[in-house]
Amino acid sequence: MTRPETTIIYTCPYVPAEWIAAHGLHPCRVIPETADPAFLTARTEGVCPYVRSFICEVMKYKQAGGVVVTTVCDQMRRVFDILVRNCDLPAFLMNVPNTWQSIAAQKLYIEELKRLSRFLIRLGGMSPSTDVLINKMLEYDKARKSILAAREYLSARQYAEAIAVLGRDGPGGLLNDAARSGPLTAGVPLAIVGGPLMKRDLEILGMVEEFGGRIVLDATETGERGMCAPFNRRRLSDDPLMELASAYFGGIQDASRRPDSELYKWLKRQLVTRAARGIVFHRYVWCDMWHAELGRLKEWTDLPVLDIDTAGDNETDRNRTENRILAFLETLQ
Amino acid sequence: MIETPERITLEEWDQQYKLLQKAGIYQPDYGGPLSRHVEDGDQRLLKLQYDNSAAALRLWNFLLTEEDRLHKARADGKKIIGTMKDLGTVPVMAYSFDNVVAFYPDGAWWIPCVMELSAGLLEIADSLGIDESFCPVRAMLGAFVTGAHFPVPDMLICSVGATCDDFSAIAQRLNGLGHPILWWEIPHRRRAETGEAMVNLTGGFSAPECQVEFVKSELDRIKNALEELTGEQLNEEKLCAGIKEANQVRRYLAELRYLAFTAELCPIPALEMLVAEMLAIHFCSDRNETIAVLKDLLDEVKARVRTGKGILDADAVRIFWVNPVADLQVMNLLEDCGGRICGTEYLFTHALDIIPENLPPIEALAQMALADPMAGSSADRAQRICTDIRRFGAETVLISRIPGASHCALEGEIISQIIQETFDIPVLEIEVPPVTDSMRPTVCTRLEALVETVKARPRVKQRKWRKK
Amino acid sequence: MEKKMICAGIDAGSRAIKIVLMDPGNQQVIAKGLVDQGVEQNKLASALFEGVLKNKGINKKNVAKIVATGYGRNAVSFADTTITEITCHAVGVRRLVPDVKTIIDIGGQDSKLLRLGRNGKVRDFAMNDRCAAGTGRFLEVVAQRMGIELESLGLMAAKSLSPAAISSMCVVFAETEITGLLASGTASEDIVAGVQAAIAARIIGMAGRNVEQPIIFTGGVAMISGMDAALQSALGQSVQVSPDPQMTGALGAAILASDRLKQSQDITCIG
Repeated sequence: MTRPETTIIYTCPYVPAEWIAAHGLHPCRVIPETADPAFLTARTEGVCPYVRSFICEVMKYKQAGGVVVTTVCDQMRRVFDILVRNCDLPAFLMNVPNTWQSIAAQKLYIEELKRLSRFLIRLGGMSPSTDVLINKMLEYDKARKSILAAREYLSARQYAEAIAVLGRDGPGGLLNDAARSGPLTAGVPLAIVGGPLMKRDLEILGMVEEFGGRIVLDATETGERGMCAPFNRRRLSDDPLMELASAYFGGIQDASRRPDSELYKWLKRQLVTRAARGIVFHRYVWCDMWHAELGRLKEWTDLPVLDIDTAGDNETDRNRTENRILAFLETLQ
Repeated sequence: MIETPERITLEEWDQQYKLLQKAGIYQPDYGGPLSRHVEDGDQRLLKLQYDNSAAALRLWNFLLTEEDRLHKARADGKKIIGTMKDLGTVPVMAYSFDNVVAFYPDGAWWIPCVMELSAGLLEIADSLGIDESFCPVRAMLGAFVTGAHFPVPDMLICSVGATCDDFSAIAQRLNGLGHPILWWEIPHRRRAETGEAMVNLTGGFSAPECQVEFVKSELDRIKNALEELTGEQLNEEKLCAGIKEANQVRRYLAELRYLAFTAELCPIPALEMLVAEMLAIHFCSDRNETIAVLKDLLDEVKARVRTGKGILDADAVRIFWVNPVADLQVMNLLEDCGGRICGTEYLFTHALDIIPENLPPIEALAQMALADPMAGSSADRAQRICTDIRRFGAETVLISRIPGASHCALEGEIISQIIQETFDIPVLEIEVPPVTDSMRPTVCTRLEALVETVKARPRVKQRKWRKK
Repeated sequence: MEKKMICAGIDAGSRAIKIVLMDPGNQQVIAKGLVDQGVEQNKLASALFEGVLKNKGINKKNVAKIVATGYGRNAVSFADTTITEITCHAVGVRRLVPDVKTIIDIGGQDSKLLRLGRNGKVRDFAMNDRCAAGTGRFLEVVAQRMGIELESLGLMAAKSLSPAAISSMCVVFAETEITGLLASGTASEDIVAGVQAAIAARIIGMAGRNVEQPIIFTGGVAMISGMDAALQSALGQSVQVSPDPQMTGALGAAILASDRLKQSQDITCIG
């Protein structure tokens, strides 16, 4: 019998919440608030603010039973090293391959899920039966579909928060209070592209809407792009673990992929379907992975691209970001 | 052996060269006075100090003529493979083919230093959106765009996964410019869990058998791709022969390192040692010549040690150096400030270890690839460094941060902590950009302060040199 | 007789407040003014505004529309509306150089690169407003450290044969570098040229590979000779300094003020 409070925290979208839930544990996707000034390690130069913030969150999360970190990003790999040395919380480093085209990479991802399972069992979880896993997957799938369906009726911030609440609390009556007065159509349709957003930076979404834009595609890691593909029901009942791997590893496109061509294919489809007229590109200072995509994105698309780089922890960021968004929307209106 | 080993300037080398010529010292076809490279734009050579031996001259000429060899290889119809990031594994395989030359385009990171930014490579990287917040390896992008340094390879092979983000991003940017890349995955090396078969790797590391199997499958994929490109089959016999040759390089280098780091008087400068180590990872585009160059250098060092001759004072502080430097001049500064190199970890120690010859060759290479210090935890890396500190008798550790390198920001601190927990020795971190001229006083202050700190402590007696 | 109405554009920059008064009928500039920026921005802007009006014998009541732009635009309480400096500089430069395609604006605290579309409007832009390196601030630090006037930097840099390599990404540490270079005997002209090259390198990062001609250089730093040459060298293309580079923001704001006035009058007529 698992303790109800055994919460497993993580932040990477390649960690399937339903896998953790199927083990009888509570998966909690942590979105850091902002960088804590009393950060554990003295260095800030060269350290991604999101990484710094995540470490702070993990160190403060007293109720957690374990933490899962992935190898998707080099600095997160080092986070594991820091946690192992400085934190009593059991930690697991999940090797998510950067390559994706080979069968070997896909198999590696599945093997890592199985290894994660052993870790979860050591923490008091139970090896899930096929039925339990299928049910959990269906629950999450339904919740994701409901959020996706509500997109046009929610502000960008509400949408992002709905996705965040799903990650934090699991499936439930998430959207009962969402305004359903009709699809939102006002504003210049824009996409926001980039890595994860800290809670404080969700205000970027509000700023865009305040100044006359409308986010029609949240292609950040904490947004829609970080949600796995819908499950195929037939494959789900045949082999749920395989389907889980396919939807997550195969379905989530990211700048860390090598090659990351699928990210651009996905973006192209979405930008056309959603009729976006501009791209707001967000990155954290010292996030090399996304920074390197900026130049390529600008060459790849005909749409105007606004670069917003934030350090995640000061008021100056806010003023600067506001000015850029305002200027961007002036050019588009 | 040179009568009085010492470090000399480029101008002094011109004089030295005349003496060597008169004495009839053997010069390979790529030999000649060092100063001729300055005419090619390698301005930095004017500011460096060099070892004054014929062996060192051969080493430098070998390094600085790599581009010529690559162009000749292209003209001769050989296939040129650009191997990226893995630092030591794929070239062993590549050189086992008959008509293949492999090199590291990453090596372009020294071009901005050597040409003192005149080549414009960093500006090209800037224009591609890869600015100074990235590792100086970004110069590689400029080299590919201009085509002015190395010929564009017939195939690019790049390892990703447990590598560093900014290199991965730079390689992806290169891919985005239209250069196809064969990507292969190196998983994050971990310890075997209960129930998993464990494999002992070089460097004191271990990994579960399933990870070795995975890397084997990746290397098989590379082998197949190389076979398809060259039209040549690489059987076990050929690969074993290639491994044997690579091991010859590694043996010479291992002996050279041991002598250089443990001799009572430092027999060879840090800069030449850095260059020698770098040769090991890709044989500077000529494996046979690498063996000859290292043998020459080793003979020189052995002679110096035997006769008790060195290039620095006996009380030079023994410094273990972590991470390679983007500016070669810093290796001179280390010695100018009273230090000597006594151990190195330039992120490719796995390329210096002997490849097992009693295993199937792909398995052996897979094990070596997994032993990459970057592939595992910072703690693992620190443990290996600690082992080598003990082995070489270092008195202090200097961690040089590579500006923009994503792994350095957090890793340096962990390594530093572990070293200080293990030994009671000072550990210092400094940042070394591609051209440090304007920061020379800052860098010198740090190095001198480190030397003073060590000298003010009771010092461990210098180990006597003995055969391993 | 009805008094002629005029429009005003105020650019409250980080170093100076600039104003342009314009006749909305023919969009001719009537007057210009400038004052150093300070702590009480609104007071300074107001005093400048009133001073320029007084000099031209214009009553404040005849100012029909005021647009404020620049870093301190929200502090100009008497402005009717604010528009970002990106839009205003584009409009202002385009008035002076109608076929401009790329604008480089380097100010005291930030630098920008604007790309204009076929219709002359801003198509895309990039900004460096996070780091003082790449801005006029860097040149101020150099001038201060070397004990020379900002305006003399250009002449000095022109004598350089081998610009020094400045490594730091941060202008604070770059100051240390400059001290180190001076101490090691590096020629002053090489140091200044190195700083100019470092600033230009920042612009390349924003420009990317496809920079369309004509490229116009504006902002306060454009008035320092030699920076245009440094940009040319970095970009590998010709760069022209805008006429009246310090005033392009205020000019653009004034033009936009008169456009908005016209729009509101048209609406009034239609109504």
